[in-house]
Amino acid sequence: MVVFILKRAGFALLTLVVATAIAFVLVHWSGSSPGVVALGAGATPAEVHAYNVKLGWYDPWIVQYAHWVAQVVQGHLGTSLIDGRDIAADIAKRLPVTAALAVFGTIVSCAAGILMGIVAAVRGGLVDRVVTATAGILLSLPAFWVGVLLVYVFAVQLRLLPATGFVPFSTNPQAWVRSLVLPVLTIAITSAAGIARQTRASMAETLTKEHIRSLRALGTPTSRIIYIHALRGASLPILASIAIQFIVLFGGSVIIEVLFALPGIGQAMQAAVGSADLPFVQALVLVATLVVVVVNLALELLTRALDPKLRAA
Amino acid sequence: MTVSTTSIVRPARVERPSLVRRILRSPLALVCILWLVGLVLASLTAPLWLHDGPLEQDLSVVMQGPSAAHLLGTDELGRDMLSRLVTAAAPTMLIALITPVVAMLVTIPVTLWAARTARAESVMNRVSEIVLSLPGTVIILAFIAAVGTDMPLVMAMFGLLLFGAMYKILFGQAASLHRQLFVEAAAIDGVRPMTASIRHVLPNMSETVIVQFVLLFGVGIGMQAGLAFIGLGPQPPEPTWGGMIQSASKFIFQQPWMMVPTGGILALTIIAANVLADILSGGVAVPPPLISLRRRRPSADAADRTSAAEAASAPASSADASSASTVAASVADRELVVRDLVIGVDGGPALVTGVSLRVAPGKVLGLVGESGCGKSVTSYATLGLLAPGLSVRSGSIRWGALDLATADEKALQRVRGHQIAFISQEPTRSLDPMFTIEWQLVAAIRRLRGVRRAEAKAIAARLLTDVGILDVPRVLGSYPHQISGGMAQRVAISLALAGTPSLLIADEPTTALDVTVQAEILDLLRGLIAERGMSVVLVTHDLGVVADLCDDVAVMYAGQIVETGTVRDVLMRPEHPYTMALLAADPHATIGGADPVRLASIPGQVPAPAAWPSGCRFIDRCRFAAAECASAVPLEPRAQGLGAVRCTRRDAVAGREEEWLAPAMVGGDA
Repeated sequence: MVVFILKRAGFALLTLVVATAIAFVLVHWSGSSPGVVALGAGATPAEVHAYNVKLGWYDPWIVQYAHWVAQVVQGHLGTSLIDGRDIAADIAKRLPVTAALAVFGTIVSCAAGILMGIVAAVRGGLVDRVVTATAGILLSLPAFWVGVLLVYVFAVQLRLLPATGFVPFSTNPQAWVRSLVLPVLTIAITSAAGIARQTRASMAETLTKEHIRSLRALGTPTSRIIYIHALRGASLPILASIAIQFIVLFGGSVIIEVLFALPGIGQAMQAAVGSADLPFVQALVLVATLVVVVVNLALELLTRALDPKLRAA
Repeated sequence: MTVSTTSIVRPARVERPSLVRRILRSPLALVCILWLVGLVLASLTAPLWLHDGPLEQDLSVVMQGPSAAHLLGTDELGRDMLSRLVTAAAPTMLIALITPVVAMLVTIPVTLWAARTARAESVMNRVSEIVLSLPGTVIILAFIAAVGTDMPLVMAMFGLLLFGAMYKILFGQAASLHRQLFVEAAAIDGVRPMTASIRHVLPNMSETVIVQFVLLFGVGIGMQAGLAFIGLGPQPPEPTWGGMIQSASKFIFQQPWMMVPTGGILALTIIAANVLADILSGGVAVPPPLISLRRRRPSADAADRTSAAEAASAPASSADASSASTVAASVADRELVVRDLVIGVDGGPALVTGVSLRVAPGKVLGLVGESGCGKSVTSYATLGLLAPGLSVRSGSIRWGALDLATADEKALQRVRGHQIAFISQEPTRSLDPMFTIEWQLVAAIRRLRGVRRAEAKAIAARLLTDVGILDVPRVLGSYPHQISGGMAQRVAISLALAGTPSLLIADEPTTALDVTVQAEILDLLRGLIAERGMSVVLVTHDLGVVADLCDDVAVMYAGQIVETGTVRDVLMRPEHPYTMALLAADPHATIGGADPVRLASIPGQVPAPAAWPSGCRFIDRCRFAAAECASAVPLEPRAQGLGAVRCTRRDAVAGREEEWLAPAMVGGDA
């Protein structure tokens, strides 16, 4: 077990290095100049050059990368080219917003998706066709469009919720909840459809297994067969699809945060990309990869714990 | 060119309808293709037929709903929405194609290479895993930060990032294809590896590749629109779908209509791609569950059915030696009486017709016949375990005062496990792989006996000892995959005993086991029957098992009972040619004590339910068949002993069982 964890952690580290190196190479081969970004179009070439030299921009990229890694290891992610703010502090401030979005989005989509998948698999027939077709359509709908439609219904027409904006939890918990409802609903709709599909397929497969008949022959109640035995049997692929959805949610937060004006990581990413704030982009690639790597690691450990065949091995 | 081994062992392709066929057969697929192709064509020819250019502003008609002049309305600068949407279509869709093209161009060669060489496989597995772990959206954004919003380049990068996912999907298939006989044969033939891959592996992967290609095309369109929505796509005033949704969202308070055509065209296009991929992959149908989980409604015709069955059973009831008197004769407690049971596929043929059985308390009935005779289906019906799509059409399954054929789910649940238990022919697979033996036993014991956990644990250990397991603690803590088949069958039997049932239905309990283990399990069953006074229905095709354990036998053929009687009568003095044939074909049951010089083989096979002959169903395989066998044959009392036989020529064939040992005349391989 320890060997396994060490192996996977090593692999996670390798993935982090690859991702950030890719971002680094991209940034350095792009021909953009941090001096121009930081000092604006008004700066003279001499000023830009001086700025770049101070930054070490003309060193080979590998030297700069090593320097960057050394900084990161010490907890420094650098400062923004645009306004000089500390990137690590800024990300730390934004992370809770995006995390809340992804976590609540995952919870809502799990609840809805698993339930829909179970109903489709167990009931079959018309119910199955309706659920499957609905899931197929929801999967195809672009999240930002769904988001705007939800805003139209709940904010413009019904006036139940704020259209955009964010209130921190510490300021007003109730307003915090209200500001997250529509964003969470928006991302949950698509990912619930994905989880519903996986649940339906895995549940239906488990229900064809011989032990289901044996359980029934022993008089096991239907609800116990479905929610304990069949769901447990289908749990591993469902879990994998939840992990994928979480990762997708985190990546998709860019669009959701822009749409709902939420001050999260995604919004920062959009701004940083738009203004070519390269150190910021670099730092966000690191954070995003870290999220993927940690989720994948958690999934693997959970799978190992949940699969009797792997646990015994 | 000479005939090569490849061409010999190469499988006939196309078991399923081809891709083209599947598309042509589905109107929905044609609609999707029409939408996608039509949109591109309309977009490319737009300057010829649109009267408003996509950039023409008319500030006098800002943000209008649909009208004759502007079919889809106008945007915030008075530009025609239809014109802008259609103009944006072709660039969007053609650029979206770059993603799947790049993804496939990279993945396919790598996959074929990795499937061939072990070293490449281990390297590429790692690489793909890393690529799969990259946060795709964020890398794309970083890419845009570096190189700008050059869409074709961005979408190519996106395709590259999809390598991880595509490799995962394609590699498994490529690897299994490479292990196939015909590809290995090609290698023996001296076909060069790459040629073999391209000629033999790639075509068989084409379906998956095409489906994934279409899916990625949809993903590419969504990605482009998303980027344009957050302002990282082609810059205004150039029309883009995502950009138009973005400006529509800004004016949602003033003119919500703008959301409809902009998002609609994007959603419909992605839906068209996904639906097309679904149809190409042959749909997303799932197999039906093994048992019906839907609550059985108390059927309105249950009462009619019972009375009809009883009326119908009147003439045939003479067959059942025990029920020569009234049909509705009350059935004793703990006695199973099946009468004229008919089970059929809903809207299809019958699988079992007119089966009557009787199992008195403490007796063991063997239900014998080849595979496909309806033995298992009959045994499932006794516990209401028929698969969805099968149902009891008529007849009754009396268990004491209850008719299990018409009983509702609630009544059945009181019987299952408590009074009647079931052992399946697949011991390992009959246990839930996800829970330990102890968990499963304790859960069943607690439910069936209503005891506390601690007591249930003690009972579980005792039951395992009873079924002859020596290392009880180890087995209790094991998962089903950790124990042998014989051990699993012992566990399954202990589970069946958890509710102290009075009747055990054992569906080929030893078929899947090794011969030595079979004997042990049979010994165990014999002991349990003697100790507990249980009655048993033993479904088997092994006459040796019948001779060993049973009191009575019912021989089934093609959904019918053909012979019943005591074990002694049926095995020693068979009256039906099929029973004779089974005996002659059985290595253990020697006929009349004579040394089996050779074993008989019954020519042909059991006919499918839809193809049963109208007369005697054994007619095509019977060596005693004659003209009179073509008319329907009733079940009549045996010549000797209790029981019944279904054969018109029973007197003519009496005592001729040894003739089955002669080489088969037709179809046999002797």
